[in-house]
Amino acid sequence: MTTTSDRLHRAGDGVSDPILEVKNASVTYDDGDTYVLDDVTFSIERNEILGVVGESGSGKSMLASALLDAIPAPGHLSGEVLYHPDPDTTVDVLEFSDAELNEFRWAEVSMVFQGAMSSFNPTMKVGAHFEDTLKAHDRSVPEGLEFAREILSDLYLDPDRVLDSYPHELSGGMQQRALIALSLLLEPEVLVMDEPTAALDLLMQRSILLLLEDIKEKYDVTMVFITHDLPLVASLADRMAVMYAFELVEAGPRDQLINDSSHPYTRALLNSTPNIDAPLEDMRPIPGKSPAPVNVPAGCSYADRCPLATETCRESDPAFEPVEAGHTVACHHWERAAEAIELTFGEAAAVGGDAEGDPQ
Amino acid sequence: MGHYYLRRTARAFVTVFLVTSLSFGLIRLLPGGPFTLLRANLLRQGVPASEVDARIASLQNIQPDAPLWRQYLDYMGAAAQGDFGTSISLDEPVAQIIAEAVPWTVFIVLVSTVLIFVFGILLGAIQAYWEGSRFDQLVSGASITLMSVPFYVVAVLALFVFAYQFGWFPTAGTVGPTVEPGLTMEFVTSALNHAALPIFSYTITGIGGQALAMRGNSIQVLGNDYVEVARLRGLSDRRIATRYVARNAILPLYTGFLLLLGFRLGGTVILEQIFSYPGLGYYMWSALESNDYPLMMGTFLVITVALVIGVYIADLTYGLIDPRISRGETDAY
Repeated sequence: MTTTSDRLHRAGDGVSDPILEVKNASVTYDDGDTYVLDDVTFSIERNEILGVVGESGSGKSMLASALLDAIPAPGHLSGEVLYHPDPDTTVDVLEFSDAELNEFRWAEVSMVFQGAMSSFNPTMKVGAHFEDTLKAHDRSVPEGLEFAREILSDLYLDPDRVLDSYPHELSGGMQQRALIALSLLLEPEVLVMDEPTAALDLLMQRSILLLLEDIKEKYDVTMVFITHDLPLVASLADRMAVMYAFELVEAGPRDQLINDSSHPYTRALLNSTPNIDAPLEDMRPIPGKSPAPVNVPAGCSYADRCPLATETCRESDPAFEPVEAGHTVACHHWERAAEAIELTFGEAAAVGGDAEGDPQ
Repeated sequence: MGHYYLRRTARAFVTVFLVTSLSFGLIRLLPGGPFTLLRANLLRQGVPASEVDARIASLQNIQPDAPLWRQYLDYMGAAAQGDFGTSISLDEPVAQIIAEAVPWTVFIVLVSTVLIFVFGILLGAIQAYWEGSRFDQLVSGASITLMSVPFYVVAVLALFVFAYQFGWFPTAGTVGPTVEPGLTMEFVTSALNHAALPIFSYTITGIGGQALAMRGNSIQVLGNDYVEVARLRGLSDRRIATRYVARNAILPLYTGFLLLLGFRLGGTVILEQIFSYPGLGYYMWSALESNDYPLMMGTFLVITVALVIGVYIADLTYGLIDPRISRGETDAY
């Protein structure tokens, strides 16, 4: 299995200045019997927005937690998570002592959880969460709060009102934005967002996405955006990675991954995306269901649902192969995928909805 | 907001009024009626039959020959002024007997309820942190066992073993017979010595339930995202344990605390009887046995009013300790 990931790395994922590198990361429960993250290797380019897509239960949240070495007990994370504060320095996050880890989390890599409503202590004012965080990291509280006010204003919130409110006094969108402000409080280099917009309505999702782009520019932060909502992240991300059954199956620049997707699963996922413009008959749900974390099939984990699957697929795990510069895929038959599975939405613009992502 | 307090206060007064009226009616339903015994006593003492009614009236604020509505009004009027008449069996004003008995009962109930909560919360919190450990299983088992034992069984056993067999504690009374009341060392130790067994019986049978409730609440709170987020934000374990977990886990227990206080007050009728501890419950029992209606009504009222006050305080203060309950928005919790 190690060879698979090594090959991905050698195959070149187009990352020249990685800020975070994940190598052979696996998360196991039950003393190694259950894999909820299976040998994942990828890199995050400094100052990019990486979109990670996958269906529910594909290991996305585990991937997010792994970046902060915050796998909930009794899960066990193995592999390497390398952090490069600058291009010449490398530290292994998994080697950190508890104190170093406490300092690293939130100050270097911070995280926005899914469901902002449950991320705040309901009996504490929002402002107190900011103060607690500053105190825990020995930062100056007045200066930190001043900075917090600035971020909150940038997120179109009234700082005084929000800081002086209890969480339940804010709307879902306000809580989500307050949580984003809290995660930026210590000026982290990397912001990991795990389904940050899942609980919000469509309009609020859209406006938060627009805000995130501004925030990224202003605060110079690298973003990892994890979601099940492919069209949503396609409008935001520079690069995308697709997860299936606790593994990475395809990664590449956004436009290439959407328009030239080479993994049968990615293509099927695109075809199953609801689209208001497409007639209902064109929607193609993917038959079958993804495997449980126990008894993952020996070969390609998608083989049971894949129209291209052959004996080879069932027997051997596909290695990553380069499709084009920076675009890699783990499939034995990726060359045939494009003609075998036709993308139904015609043009990717309908998916992205982003002006610069306009393909011809 | 003001509206809410007003409504709660009005409701408390209405409840007390209804309870007082009910006690007036209930007592009159008891066999023998309120004044039969008193009348017999007075006649035996040689009071002329023509003056008996007047004597009853002066003792109990009620004219026995007046129509019922008149008796009711007189009774309510006197009760509102804190005058419950004169005890038939003890020949002292009921208000005075109650005033002497209440501090002892409050002492026992308050101390045992506070102990129940302190130990219950500590045990439950530790169990939650070590969920599934041997300690957790052991304490859970013990909690369920103790919960199933009524306090009076423990009381009788404790009295038999520790007071009669070992002689470590007195078998009756609130303080030693020779001890002068006052803030002296002697008085305090004597009072504690006398109260130890009643408090013990109340506490040991109550801890289990609170520990289990706290354990459940804590486990639920520990599973919340905000605890995990706080951990990622680098907060110290102590800060998370107190401000993020304990506070949210204890909040739902608060109303129960004040209600328990009230219910325990009612339980003293049995507890104080077992330990011959002359508190409120003790006098209520002896009043029942000797058909002492004024004393019965007085103690009954004080216990009920205490419960109403407990609920009232819970109502008013819950909004202060839990910001999510804003006064006036909702009636139910």
